[in-house]
Amino acid sequence: MFVARRMQKNTVTLAPDASLADAQEKMRDYNIRQIPVTSADGKLIGILSDRDIRASVLPAGFIPGFSVEEAQKFLHNTPVEKVMTRKVATATLTDTLEDAIVLLRDFRVNALPVLDAEGKVIGIITRTNVLEAFIDVLGVGEVSSRLEVVVPDKPGTLAQLVTIISSFHVNITSVLASSHVEEGKRANFFRLNTLNLAPIKKAIVEAGFEILDPSQFTL
Amino acid sequence: MKRLAFSYHPDYLLHTPPFEHPESPERLIAVTEHMKSTGLLEKMIPVPVDYPDDEDILTTHDREYLNKVESACRRGDMTLDAEDTYLNRHSYNIALLSAGGAIAGAKAVAEGTADRAFCAIRPPGHHAGRNVGMGFCIINNVAVAARYLQRRHGVGKALIVDWDVHHGNGTQDILFEDPSVFFFSIHEHPTFLYPGTGRRWETGKGPGEGTTLNAPMAPGAGDDEYRIVFEQQLTPAVERFKPEIILVSAGFDAHRDDPLADIQLSDEGFRMMTKRVVELANAYCGGKVVSLLEGGYEISSLTSCLEIHVRELLEG
Repeated sequence: MFVARRMQKNTVTLAPDASLADAQEKMRDYNIRQIPVTSADGKLIGILSDRDIRASVLPAGFIPGFSVEEAQKFLHNTPVEKVMTRKVATATLTDTLEDAIVLLRDFRVNALPVLDAEGKVIGIITRTNVLEAFIDVLGVGEVSSRLEVVVPDKPGTLAQLVTIISSFHVNITSVLASSHVEEGKRANFFRLNTLNLAPIKKAIVEAGFEILDPSQFTL
Repeated sequence: MKRLAFSYHPDYLLHTPPFEHPESPERLIAVTEHMKSTGLLEKMIPVPVDYPDDEDILTTHDREYLNKVESACRRGDMTLDAEDTYLNRHSYNIALLSAGGAIAGAKAVAEGTADRAFCAIRPPGHHAGRNVGMGFCIINNVAVAARYLQRRHGVGKALIVDWDVHHGNGTQDILFEDPSVFFFSIHEHPTFLYPGTGRRWETGKGPGEGTTLNAPMAPGAGDDEYRIVFEQQLTPAVERFKPEIILVSAGFDAHRDDPLADIQLSDEGFRMMTKRVVELANAYCGGKVVSLLEGGYEISSLTSCLEIHVRELLEG
């Protein structure tokens, strides 16, 4: 899974001399909260978030003499390059979603502009895009039943489970494998396209595996 | 004692699984025998069940979908989509007849020949969407009945209570934008159980915003948790919506003995839910309740809970 597959293309960008008022309008129009700032040749020079704007403008009315009109004047007269963040965490086209997840966490940002080899902005990947990928992988919202099986931590157990499931002619819509609270064991999660899990659960238990009660699910 | 219509047709037993399957004719055989042996059958008013008119099905399903199911049966297909929803040569007709049973019960109540109705029908309906059959369901019986009441009997607002342990995703999809039918579903949480929908923020769309209410329940929830939802969520919803009739998608698979899910209701939980629906109907809809069988796969708890359900419909 590469960033390129999940990023938003046709990225909205701002010129450094655009006003904060322009930026606010774009954020409203496109329902976004950060915009990469690029030079005329498309290269990234900063990023502007709605929080950058808020931090730059004192709330009108709190300071004597600073009226709503004054604030509007400030927004129209201030170029984004004065307020934007210059040190930007970015992703490249060859980065994977795993890279993006770690970057978003480590830099505590909401979005990563995606750059091509020449440093031009060709997309942006946000926390929302990553969550969408996670929703797809988990199969949330797909017609299915969930099953969690605890297996010994040794090769071949997942294959055994899949063989049992396939003998019931049931499609697997999602699989996850992770470590389990107990040492020497792993947990496998399935989403299966059937209402009738009972016979599958029975066959899995008869094959010597442990089915976790849903209230004991670890993930 | 209330006049309780009972709709049933012996041909419901013709929809038989081609392989071992929990939704079998034995369920209904057990139900009718239990009704006989307890003397409850005599206390109910049998109503004639017939095939519904096309228009009454087309309110809920598209012609292309019906054609698809009909030809699948004619061809001898064993399933519709996944293996959950099996077919035999009779299945299309019997699915229509199942909706016909729901209509028969609704008709008796709407015309006043009965105060309430219980429809012992199969196959069940609440997973069937406008263009898709799934989860043992082919025709959405409860949606057909609601629309029938509106079209033929001038009912304005109807409310559906779906307490099958699985979310009634088909019913929700069909009625999601319809402000005239309120859909309430209480079910095991979608993270743990089929079909994986029915989260609390699914509340309707467009004109139907606010007329869907989902109560997902954690695995292991029992009578007490269900009572709280009926008191704190269903009751105010009924008070606000003011339906003219209540329909129940009555599944009995939230029982602790049922093998298909993890909810732990006792027989008394089903008494509580029936009582509460009857009380609300008495307060807001002249007592009118039409209850339709959905799931429930463990014969002993199915029959004992249905007995309680029918007694409460007769006496409440």
